[in-house]
Amino acid sequence: MPKTRVGVFVCHCGNNIGGVVRVPDVVEYARTLPNVTYAEDNLYTCSEEGLSSIKDQIAKQGLNRVVVASCTPRTHEPLFKRACEEAGLNKYLFEFVNIREHCSWVHMHDPAMATEKAKELVRMGVAKACHLEPQQEFESDVFPAALVIGGGVAGMSAALGLANQGIQVHLVEKEQELGGLIRGVQTLFPTEQDTDELLRPLAERVKAHAHISVSLGSEVENVSGFIGDFDVSVRADGEVEGLRVGTIIVATGAEELKPVDLYRYGELPNVVTQLEFEEKFKSGGEIPRSVAIINCVGARIPKRTYCGRFCCATAIKNAIWIKERDPQARVYVLHRDVMAYGVEIEEFYRRAMELGVRFLRYDVESPPEVLGEDRAKAVKVQHQLMGKEVILPVDMVVLTTPLVARDDNGKLSKMLKVPLGSDGFFLEAHLKLRPIEFSTDGVYVCGAARYPSNIPESVSQAYAAAAKASIPIREGLVRVEAITAFCDERTCSACGNCVEACPFGAIELQQGRFGRTAHVNTAQCKGCGCCVAACPSGAMQQRGFSDMQVLSMIGALAEEMTGGVG
Amino acid sequence: MVSGSDSPGNGFEPKILVFACNWCSYAGADLAGVSRLQMPPNCRVIRVMCSARVRPEFVITALSKGLDGVLVLGCHPGDCHYSEGNYFTRRRGLLLRKLLEFVGIEPERFQVRWVSASEGAKFAETVEQVTEQIRALGPNRPRSEVLGTEPGDR
Amino acid sequence: MESQSVLVIGGGIAGIQASIDLANMGFEVYLVEKTPSIGGRMAQLDKTFPTNDCSMCILAPKMIECAGHERVHLLTYSDVVEMDGKAGDFRVTVLRKPRYVDVEKCTGCGECAEKCPRRVPDEFNVGLAKRKAAYLPFPQAVPRKMTIDAESCLYLTKGRCRVCEETCQAGAIDFEQQEELVELEVGAIVLATGFDPFDPGSLKEYGYGEIDNVITGLEYERLICASGPTGGHLERPSDGKVPGTIAFIQCVGSRDVNYKAYCSSVCCMHATKEAILANEHYPGLKSFIFYTDMRAVGKQFQEYIIRAREQYGVGYIRSRPGKITVNEETGNPVVWYDETIYGDAGDPERRVASMEVDLVVLCQALVPHSVHAEIAEKLGLMLDESGFIAIEDRLIRPVDTTVPGVFACGFCQGPQDIPDSVIQASAAAARVAEILAKKSKELEHA
Repeated sequence: MPKTRVGVFVCHCGNNIGGVVRVPDVVEYARTLPNVTYAEDNLYTCSEEGLSSIKDQIAKQGLNRVVVASCTPRTHEPLFKRACEEAGLNKYLFEFVNIREHCSWVHMHDPAMATEKAKELVRMGVAKACHLEPQQEFESDVFPAALVIGGGVAGMSAALGLANQGIQVHLVEKEQELGGLIRGVQTLFPTEQDTDELLRPLAERVKAHAHISVSLGSEVENVSGFIGDFDVSVRADGEVEGLRVGTIIVATGAEELKPVDLYRYGELPNVVTQLEFEEKFKSGGEIPRSVAIINCVGARIPKRTYCGRFCCATAIKNAIWIKERDPQARVYVLHRDVMAYGVEIEEFYRRAMELGVRFLRYDVESPPEVLGEDRAKAVKVQHQLMGKEVILPVDMVVLTTPLVARDDNGKLSKMLKVPLGSDGFFLEAHLKLRPIEFSTDGVYVCGAARYPSNIPESVSQAYAAAAKASIPIREGLVRVEAITAFCDERTCSACGNCVEACPFGAIELQQGRFGRTAHVNTAQCKGCGCCVAACPSGAMQQRGFSDMQVLSMIGALAEEMTGGVG
Repeated sequence: MVSGSDSPGNGFEPKILVFACNWCSYAGADLAGVSRLQMPPNCRVIRVMCSARVRPEFVITALSKGLDGVLVLGCHPGDCHYSEGNYFTRRRGLLLRKLLEFVGIEPERFQVRWVSASEGAKFAETVEQVTEQIRALGPNRPRSEVLGTEPGDR
Repeated sequence: MESQSVLVIGGGIAGIQASIDLANMGFEVYLVEKTPSIGGRMAQLDKTFPTNDCSMCILAPKMIECAGHERVHLLTYSDVVEMDGKAGDFRVTVLRKPRYVDVEKCTGCGECAEKCPRRVPDEFNVGLAKRKAAYLPFPQAVPRKMTIDAESCLYLTKGRCRVCEETCQAGAIDFEQQEELVELEVGAIVLATGFDPFDPGSLKEYGYGEIDNVITGLEYERLICASGPTGGHLERPSDGKVPGTIAFIQCVGSRDVNYKAYCSSVCCMHATKEAILANEHYPGLKSFIFYTDMRAVGKQFQEYIIRAREQYGVGYIRSRPGKITVNEETGNPVVWYDETIYGDAGDPERRVASMEVDLVVLCQALVPHSVHAEIAEKLGLMLDESGFIAIEDRLIRPVDTTVPGVFACGFCQGPQDIPDSVIQASAAAARVAEILAKKSKELEHA
């Protein structure tokens, strides 16, 4: 086995380190450490000069480990790793020691102690470096096709977003036709155009596209595999087809809440939901003369705390629709806040008011009451802003309810190994910065499956999902930084702790050469190390952060302690 | 520099091992540095990707080798870059403290704290506080020194 | 000639996300940012709603990923001066403003800033603090390169000083540096220019600029931020006292036909966040939010409002205050408002009420960036009535501008929060890929 030859490069960083830490002393000290063949100081190790020196010395001195003591690895680590690579040294044989942010900058008044600390940190870094091993980044192929589950506006847009890049897409839709939720809607806001104007061309484009294969009346039955290589079973007409894809987009949408037991829905024939209003009245029914639209029905209540997001816009849309056909009609919108956010929806709201739609604010504590015996005749409500009760004579009551998560989300979530939130919608990896990805790589979500969203929002999400889902396919492979975990099967007792501990579901117990043992799917491993610490036998280790490496740093630090058991 | 065998009040300088997670606490430590927040020079940081990487063995080894304290820093609960890692850290931390107490090491020598990437000041404060707390405990002496026995003696 | 390169204008979170996605999809990306660092507005925030994540903590890794990507070419401290051409074939001229620092040599160590004698108001801290003429806009700036501001530098304006040059051990100071024009050929352009805060000084009735303890939302963010000018201590302007009560006024300039008719979308949430932070920092502190509609429409947003009310005692008063006066003795602002819901403020009798508080935060309208008019002119694209980048067909192509090959994501096309901006950024990347699609067989490498 070749002798370990460590090169140590200590940076002055101008005066930033050198002004406090006695860098030449640190270099001197480094030379005394076991396995250190060479040590030098640099004014700026990250400069062209410094990097060249590293490369030169790797060659000249036959260095097989490099330690740089300078600033924080969070900025320049890739730079130094690249330099090592360029000099023919595996970039995972490099170790970074922070003697600026963690030393010279915070002990400016104590140069002696700062210097001692820098020496110890270098000693720890060298100890770890001696235990580093060359690593290859794991690469796995990506099958060049994608699956989109759900053929509504979101699903269709996602499919097109992928197909137009030349990527093969399988679009699986449960119903016998494409379109999803908006098939039940007659006109759209704020353009007021007929839904068909949007839906028909969209569906045509999808069906005609050379790279999209549509399966109607089909459902996903089983999914196995991981990013780059998913095996999907799709059932249609009693038959099961197998698909192989690299990435998956969930676009299964949601459903309108039917407000059973609320506002006498189901009891009185002229109390309807927004979708029912669309269906029964907007394509030829008689326009009501007096309508009360009640918002937040079954939403923003203790049982279902979320806001339906676009229902206010829907209510405004239909209020305007009625008024435009009958300016004399009396339209009341009973609301708890008007969620007309942004530019267009706020404008739409103003327009409704100009047309004479009356907006009445009510409190969740005193909800409206629908009055009437076999038909709704009036709505009684405590008008919050007038501070008194009013009775509105109506010949129809429209209940604005939120979208709710589909019942079969649970089944799909288990199949795909992705989580649901407390409200039943799919839960993304991070609410702020990763809103359409999951912690599970290779699976994405868009549209109402994730949370109620209007059409522009759903389409944006769909395109975003298409972008994300296309990346592994365009790249052709998935590459993972070599800080992943791996299991030494010889010492694994298959206790399963690691399987539980992994936040990403990347570990499975499988039959291996030494019996049933844990196996890490490197493609999914994120390198956190949770499994390693959970392993009682030490079988599970993390590349670049192994027990041996960390313990060597602890040992190096404690070396000069005169206390301790030794 | 010799430490560990002085008694408190004799200029004893504790030597404290700190594990800091890459995404939050290590970045917080960096920010403290960038902000030039001065702090006692007793801590030595080992970077891990997640605080959950820290196994009890590390802590026990460090203390049994005579280091005066171990501080594990992670992201605030709920903010872990790997979703759940810091929950493991928290649970292990609680159990480990009990174990340390059981074997006769002051549990305050081992602490778990949460520092986010933007909390440079909190990092500095934490280092100050923990250093002082451990300084007040005195050097971490092995049983043998305390009881005047050899390891293995009963 | 068809180009597989893309220009992204604007280095905030939307521009950063679009750049990362495009680069990951295989395109060469030129990211132009007018300030010395990418990061945008998100870098100025303390926490983000509704998760209360530390903003910089989640932003910094994205900035590093963006700048470190081999296919992303950052052009910071630069402006786009000319744009011509059509989808697939745009010719763009970028002006790189002189930093007077050689970025090849500069290591961002900060010594020049330490020694620079000239202090000027700090834009990043919205004027609440001072920075040096030689500066790094904020500690986590990417790229980590110093900049010397020509308008305040003593040497560049008066021919004196040059201390930075003496100090810099890397020899990176270069007062001879000239502006540079860079010609780019790109196939598509993504606009991500974000927003500016509206100056509430025009609303005389609120006393901004006159009453010391009336500040804007962005100023409050900097004060409460742990890495801000007061280290996260909420010190009110007049006397540095920590307020015991705060009034947040919503819709200042928004939903107002006299100023901006639209709703700025994020203010209800950011006010709630700020009220929560105030109470977290100072448990006795009581906040009141004066609102018209509490627009909490996003995922986990309603739950956030509930937490604010129940856990942090935030009071919500439905009213748009008519004016703010000041108690001359104490410096306390007094908010005069019409109580639209009886009993909202705990007093069932009065209709016109006043509330004396220690600090008023005006949640100002957020307006399209001032650079839009120029961009619109150069590219021949349309702006909507409010000055946002107009979207041709919002329902079907929500990130397409009126010019083919030019896309817009984030606040520049309409008020929206961070998740929506990030979604649109990725959507823009997908649209770019669609229009620059290689022939199918070129994708066949598997």
